[in-house]
Amino acid sequence: MLSDEQLLRYSRQIMLPEVEIEGQEAWLNARVLIVGLGGLGSPVAMYLAAAGVGSLVLVDDDDVDLSNLQRQIVHHSGRIGRPKVESARETLAALNPDIAIQTLCERLSPQRLEELVETVDLVVDCCDNFATRFAINRACFRHGRPLVSGAAIRLEGQVAVYDPRQPDSPCYQCLYREGEEEGLTCSESGVLSPLVGIIGSVQAMEALKVLANIGRPLVGRLQLLDAHSMDWRTLKLKKDPQCSVCSQVG
Amino acid sequence: MATLTFTRHLDRYLDCPPRSFEAATVAEALERAFDENQRLASYILDDQRHLRKNIAIFVDGHMIRDRRHLSDALAPDSSIYVLQALSGG
Ligand SMILES: [Zn+2]
Repeated sequence: MLSDEQLLRYSRQIMLPEVEIEGQEAWLNARVLIVGLGGLGSPVAMYLAAAGVGSLVLVDDDDVDLSNLQRQIVHHSGRIGRPKVESARETLAALNPDIAIQTLCERLSPQRLEELVETVDLVVDCCDNFATRFAINRACFRHGRPLVSGAAIRLEGQVAVYDPRQPDSPCYQCLYREGEEEGLTCSESGVLSPLVGIIGSVQAMEALKVLANIGRPLVGRLQLLDAHSMDWRTLKLKKDPQCSVCSQVG
Repeated sequence: MATLTFTRHLDRYLDCPPRSFEAATVAEALERAFDENQRLASYILDDQRHLRKNIAIFVDGHMIRDRRHLSDALAPDSSIYVLQALSGG
């Protein structure tokens, strides 16, 4: 049952026929894991908090650095040197005191990740390394939790949803194979700040859609952005029948 | 002729703008491109000539089925798109 304050706070989305009270309650009752509170994690966490996702779990083992602030908008100058998850918690609590926030300032072991994924309804991958991306994908498919995956660097972004609850959904490992050398990071290659805002906002939108069962999420589709020309490209993904992760499911 | 396009970063890094080739399969189209640009081959394929793990190829918007031999067939006007995994967050 929504309070009068909640009805007012969330009124502009509750009025949408796709959302209504039912959708808002789905968000308020949801628990979402956000891995990485950097460029993508910033808009994801802020939009999910603002929209009233009732419980957020924030994971990042890094501290806020001056060079982050050009794009990691959940942090600010007064938080330099402090853990990103604590900085994010303060911003999100000020944005919406209505939600619960759990913070973990650690690099999750695969086992810890598995335990955590099992406790949430959805995972948003905003991390900055391939090892974690593959580990998150495995944990999500093992425990049947939808995964909203985003990545961005330079002027290029990629975003997709992998949903183990759908038998024909591919997974991240159907698209890329594990074991290649590490990719470039934003600190090595650079990134134009609104790019992570765009991709992170798409991730937040997809997370809200999946949680409230709205529209057609990006399952089985990879959305690519070339911000240089502002061209979006939609590519169709296929479940790999040989995939060691998702072929075990469904 | 099939058109072969690489993501903007690959194009900038490896100098591989969109090209058109007569080719019946993805492998054939890539071989034509590699003939013109040897650096490209080692970036896209591993030492066993399989697709590298961080690379994905799409034909007419659909992910290819055969990552080992790249035998996916092309239509005369197919569009091949090559991209790499991004890890930045
Ligand atoms: Zn898979």
